[in-house]
Formats: sequence, structure tokens, C-alpha cells
Amino acid sequence: MNYKPDESTLIAFLYGELNEKETKKLEAYFQQHPEELAKLRGMDEVREVMSHAQDKEVIAPPVFVDETGIKPLWQSSYLRVSMGMAASILFLLVAGKLLGPEINYSNGELRISFGKKAEQPMQPAGLTEEKVNELISSSLAKNNESLASTRTEDQKKLMQTLVDFNSKKMNELTKTASQASQEQVRSFVSNLQEQNLKLMKDYFQLSTADQKKYMESLLVDFSSYLQEQRKQDLQYVQTRVNSLEKNNNQFKQETEQILTSLISNPGKKKNNY
Amino acid sequence: MAETLLDIAMMHSDSLIARAREGDKNAQGKLVQLWYKRIYNFSYKFFFDHDLAMEVSQKTFISMHKNLAGLQEVARFKSWLYTIAVNYCREETRKKKASRSFSLHDLNPGEGEESYRWEESHHRNENPERQLRHSELSDLLQSCLMELSHEQREVVIMKEYEGLKFREIAEALNISENTVKSRMYYGLDGLKKILEQKKITKETIGYEL
Repeated sequence: MNYKPDESTLIAFLYGELNEKETKKLEAYFQQHPEELAKLRGMDEVREVMSHAQDKEVIAPPVFVDETGIKPLWQSSYLRVSMGMAASILFLLVAGKLLGPEINYSNGELRISFGKKAEQPMQPAGLTEEKVNELISSSLAKNNESLASTRTEDQKKLMQTLVDFNSKKMNELTKTASQASQEQVRSFVSNLQEQNLKLMKDYFQLSTADQKKYMESLLVDFSSYLQEQRKQDLQYVQTRVNSLEKNNNQFKQETEQILTSLISNPGKKKNNY
Repeated sequence: MAETLLDIAMMHSDSLIARAREGDKNAQGKLVQLWYKRIYNFSYKFFFDHDLAMEVSQKTFISMHKNLAGLQEVARFKSWLYTIAVNYCREETRKKKASRSFSLHDLNPGEGEESYRWEESHHRNENPERQLRHSELSDLLQSCLMELSHEQREVVIMKEYEGLKFREIAEALNISENTVKSRMYYGLDGLKKILEQKKITKETIGYEL
């Protein structure tokens, strides 16, 4: 018989995982080769010895789940970069608006300036400083003369107008006063009295109506307040009665329990030592 | 091995995994609570180093949290999780080789109350002497395990301590089931020789305990 089991077959036999046919075959082999069986038994003994190696006790650490992978939108790098760029551009725009930069290139000259361009006075050609002074002084003298003449003329006109207007007004007033008769004055006074009387009457009527309304509302409020107060008092009394009833029931139950306990344990003695 | 409540909870965690895959933070937290001890112990047995085991466990669960949505089948969660853990174990092994650093746990702090084994113990209601012996034996067996190659160690730990099926180990390591069994065979054979060298047998262990 040339059958010789391999290591996997022997191990399967050792762990009882071999099928029946193979097992019988192997048992027959062991009868012829008892040294192989002894070797397997030795291995089984090794397993038994090695089983004395104990497990170590260990406590599982708490589990922390790292959620940093999920970043909110405002923390994403793309948004930060784009926001940074937008902020920079905005800053430049604001600065540009405030400073008003101007870049010019003319006659081979590049000029960068900020703010409003200073207006340069145009100097006519051929005019000297003396001439200019002369022109200014002559112009000023002429102007002063014309102003003085205009002012005196205006003053005269104004005075004349005022005098005319006042005298006319005074004349009219005197005329009206002299034309007013005694009857007209009386009718005016009586008219005035009637108006005053009417006004007073209206005032008193209105005042009485308001006062009446106010008193009525006051009385209604007071009666509702009284009703509410009564309702609350009744509720309070009801609650107190309920509480008393509850306490009474509880007391009854406790008494019953104590009695039951006394009845059910008649021979029990109390030891204090 | 008797099934603990944790084991039962792990077996019935399909709905939990489904919810966690859909982004339920609470379910993800519960998954970590359920599997942290297993992944830590797998890594600890792989490195015999608390710090590295903590490092791998934390990385594994961070990776789980990030990639759980991409898990195709809920039934494959266990092997998928161990795949992540194994990959981080291998990464740490490469780093360790490159830096040649060592953990303070590698230093023997001595016996008695100063020993770190006292600090690591959680079964305070047990007999302290017996508990210390258990802890010493665990470390001794752990040191035997460390003498195996990485490939054999991965398979032995997954099968013997993590209770994975050969199929699940094959899925986790992305190798064939026969290769897994073969590595297991040579792993156990290697362990047998190591134990013989150190004169550790069933009888001596029984006497010690």
C-alpha cells in the first residue's frame, strides 16, 4: 500500500474535520505506521499545553469618530480663496474710488496722479505783472464808482416808496374808523358774545358725555374684577378641600397598612441588639 | 471551551455589522467593544508586546471604521477584520526589524510585588500565588510561540486561540486551505520540539499548577 497522507490531511484528522472515507483510510494507515499516530498524539498534547496561555484582559478605548472630513461650505478652501480674491478686488475698487487715480501718457511721459487735477491758471501771452495790476486797479475804481452811484439812487427810491406807502395806509385806516357807526360796533360785540356762548355750550356737552362713558366703563370693570376674584377664591377653597380629602385617604391607607402588618406578623419581636 | 456571553454576542452580531456598515455610529462602537479584546489578544500573542498589540488594535479598528462600508458580505466580517489585523502585524514587524527597538516589557522586572505581572492581573479574587504561576506559564508558552516563524505563528494563533475555521484563516491570509493546514502541521510540530527543549509537558504543567 503506497498511501501516504499529506500534512493537511493529518491536520484535518487531528481537528476532526476529515470525512468518513478518508478517516477510515487514515486509520488503516496508522495501523501500519503507529509512529505517525504517535506524532499526531504528540501534537494534540502540544495543543493542550499551549491552551494554558491565557488571554490578556484589555479595556476597549472609547470610540471617537473624526468628522473633520465633512467641512461646512464656509470652511472650504475654494470658497476661502475666492472670497479672499473678491475682498482684494473690492478693496482696490474702494481705494480707487476714494483716491481717484489718473494715469496719463503724453509726450513720452507717464503720469500717475491721485485726486482732482489741479487747474493751472491760463496766462495770456504778452501781459506783464504791472499791466495786470493797472488793469485790476482801473477796473476796481470803475466798479466802485458805479456801485456808489447805484446805491445812492436806490436809497432815494426806497425812501420815497416807504413814505408814499405809509401815508396811504394811514389815510385808509382813518377813513374806515371814521365811517364805522355805533350800531355796527354793537352788532359785532353781540355776535362775538353769541359765538362764545355757543362754544362754551358745546364744550360742556362734550365733557358730560365723556365723563358718563368713563364712569360706565369703570363700573363694568369693577364688577368683572369682583367676579374674577370670587371665582379664584372658590377655586382656592376647592383645592384646599381636595387636598384635605387626599390627606385623609392617605392617612386611611397608611393606617390600614399598619393594621395589616400588625395582623400578619403577630409573633414578630423587635430586636435592638 | 465554554461559550461566554461575549462569544454568543459575537456570533449574533450580523445585524450589528449590517447597521455599522450603513454608518450607524452606535453599532460601530458596539463592534469595537465586542472585538477589541480578540484583536488585542491576537496581536499580543503575535508580538508578545503590549504596546505593539495596542497599536495594531487601534489601527485595525480605525481601518475598520473607514472601510466597513466597502465590506461585501456580512458573513465575512470576522476574516476581513483579521485580515486587517494581520496586515498591521506584518507592517509593525517590518518597522520593528528596521528600527530594532524593544519594549520595556521585554525587560524582566524581577519577581515579587515589583513584577508587572501583578499589574496585569485582573482576577483579583483568585489565589495570588496560583495567579502568578498562571501568568508565568502564559509568558513561558508565549515565548515558545515567538520562536515560530511569522507564517506559522499567525495560523497557530488564529486556530488555537481565536477559534477561526481553516476556511476563515485561508480567507484572512488569502492563501489556500491546504496551505493553512500545512502551516498548522509544521507549526505544531515546531512547537512540540520547542516544548521538548524547554522540558514543558502536560505533566510538568500539572505539577506547577
